[in-house]
Amino acid sequence: MPLIRKPADLATPPPAPDLEAAKAALRSPDVDMRWRAARALSAFPEAAGALGEASAAEPNARVREAMFTSLALIGTAECTAVLVLHLRSDDAERRTGAMDSLRTLPRALGATLPGLLRDKDPDVRLLACDLVREMPSAEATVLLTAVLDRDPEINVCAAAVDVLAEVGAPAALPALHRCAERFADPFLSFAIKIACDRLGEQALFRG
Amino acid sequence: MAERTPRRILIIDDAGLVRRYYREALERCGYAVDEALNGLEALEKLLAEPADLLIVDVNMPRMDGLTFLRTLRRREGAIAAIPAVVVSTEAGPQDFDAARSAGANFYMVKPVPQDVLIEYVALLCGPAA
Amino acid sequence: MGEFAAVSQEEFSRLCDFLYRRTGMVFTEAKRYYVERRVNDRMGATGAGSFASYFARLRSDIDGEVEQFINAFTVNETYFYREDHQLRCLTADLLARRTAAKRRSEAVRIWSVPCSTGEEPYSIAMWMLENWAQVDAWDVEIVGSDIDTQVLETARQGYYGRRALMRLTPELIGKYFEPAGDERWRILQDLRDSVRFSSANVMEAAETSPHGRFDVIFCRNMLIYFDDASRRLAAENLYESLLPGGYICLGHTESMSRISPLFEVCRYPDAIVYQRPAERARG
Repeated sequence: MPLIRKPADLATPPPAPDLEAAKAALRSPDVDMRWRAARALSAFPEAAGALGEASAAEPNARVREAMFTSLALIGTAECTAVLVLHLRSDDAERRTGAMDSLRTLPRALGATLPGLLRDKDPDVRLLACDLVREMPSAEATVLLTAVLDRDPEINVCAAAVDVLAEVGAPAALPALHRCAERFADPFLSFAIKIACDRLGEQALFRG
Repeated sequence: MAERTPRRILIIDDAGLVRRYYREALERCGYAVDEALNGLEALEKLLAEPADLLIVDVNMPRMDGLTFLRTLRRREGAIAAIPAVVVSTEAGPQDFDAARSAGANFYMVKPVPQDVLIEYVALLCGPAA
Repeated sequence: MGEFAAVSQEEFSRLCDFLYRRTGMVFTEAKRYYVERRVNDRMGATGAGSFASYFARLRSDIDGEVEQFINAFTVNETYFYREDHQLRCLTADLLARRTAAKRRSEAVRIWSVPCSTGEEPYSIAMWMLENWAQVDAWDVEIVGSDIDTQVLETARQGYYGRRALMRLTPELIGKYFEPAGDERWRILQDLRDSVRFSSANVMEAAETSPHGRFDVIFCRNMLIYFDDASRRLAAENLYESLLPGGYICLGHTESMSRISPLFEVCRYPDAIVYQRPAERARG
């Protein structure tokens, strides 16, 4: 049988990235250079501002994703603030990229979520409901029942119901019933019924 | 594109309860239904089995509905031309235009009651069989 | 023995919705009995007193509970020619596309990561020798990597038992293995020499980038067990490790739709694979 050639030795690892060089490379006309720079900056918490600025202007989706990933890896409050800014974008792709990164940061988000759930922009409130999915059940229940009781937008409440149906605790049941009465919408009633079934049913206990 | 019987609808929405709400209504009317929870999954499903109509949410993880439509419309073959209804929480003219530029054929504003959905679907791709 | 706790309809839906969202796996009513049984197993193993408390544990992925849960539904053992439809896709479609634009002096590079005890990279080598008409016309480099250095050493030694060879015909075993004791075979020296084994953690760019860029990466049944943040980073590292136009194959229950939007999905008769977009013209 013919031999398959034995592979060459491993290349030496690339040199450690240089902060200033990487920050400068964020503005390179070359997509791959910007990509590499964005990735390299995950090692530098002090780069959060530069990543934030660059991500606002970055036209290439892949590079922007890499910036969002680095921001999430750095994970400071400054980073979550930067990512949250992108939730307000008119560009669905940008919002999705920011959401995907924010979903990986439940602890860092913890302090910001209550404010986002009361944001004046209903689109931001709606996206914030989905971020609550990553929280522990008790906390999620408190946050989302407050939404059910006060939010004027039906789609925000629908988002809250969808998340509660997955993560909610039985303590959400009264607020779910109140919300159904507040809107009397066929979809919302459907969703609330399912959420109530899921949160109210008791499994048979073992043994 | 060959017409399939029963008509097949792909629901693309990250909210499980929304997918279920549409699915139950569509199946009651005899449509074949499949689901995807983001644009990437929708592309995979369509490559495995095309659909007659797409119901597309906008905000979804990994790939949003408009990026999905743009990507779909760029592909080769019949799947690029599958009619698509964007169903969005937004009701402004700029949102309508963005959807149309992305390749949407029709647009509905959430929440969409089951009877309205069925009317639209029947109009767009005919009865189930 | 405790009684078998039935899972209610909505509890079942709640669990299935969660798993579908998280992993892409669909559990239909047809699988309901198996899912209930698994829930009961895991409730017992974790000491959860109710479905609700078990579900909370699963949702928070405490002690890797998601992996524990879905292990019952995925094939976990490694063996030669596992998921061979992807190997078929490799030789029927992927290699032709990869070599179309290559100069003869360029090698065809394939990465198996995680390679575990070597069944996958050796399978790739064997399969190519058996099924790729052009295998002599190209330099082929096959690299197997894993985070676990012990399995790498096992892979280098190349000894396997009957279960690992269960999908191979006697002819293939006779051709590529030599007997090495009771129910033990060793893959031939030629094949051991044709795969390079090296350690790599796909989460670390400093460990993946020295391996260079590949035409095809097999990354099967690993990412499904990672959390979202880890999957994202691993996907970027794997993207970086692919040549433009290169392909990545995941395990059959896995999908990039739960991992990353970086790759384009491609459908071939034998498999769905993902591709790093080819280089666009500059400008």
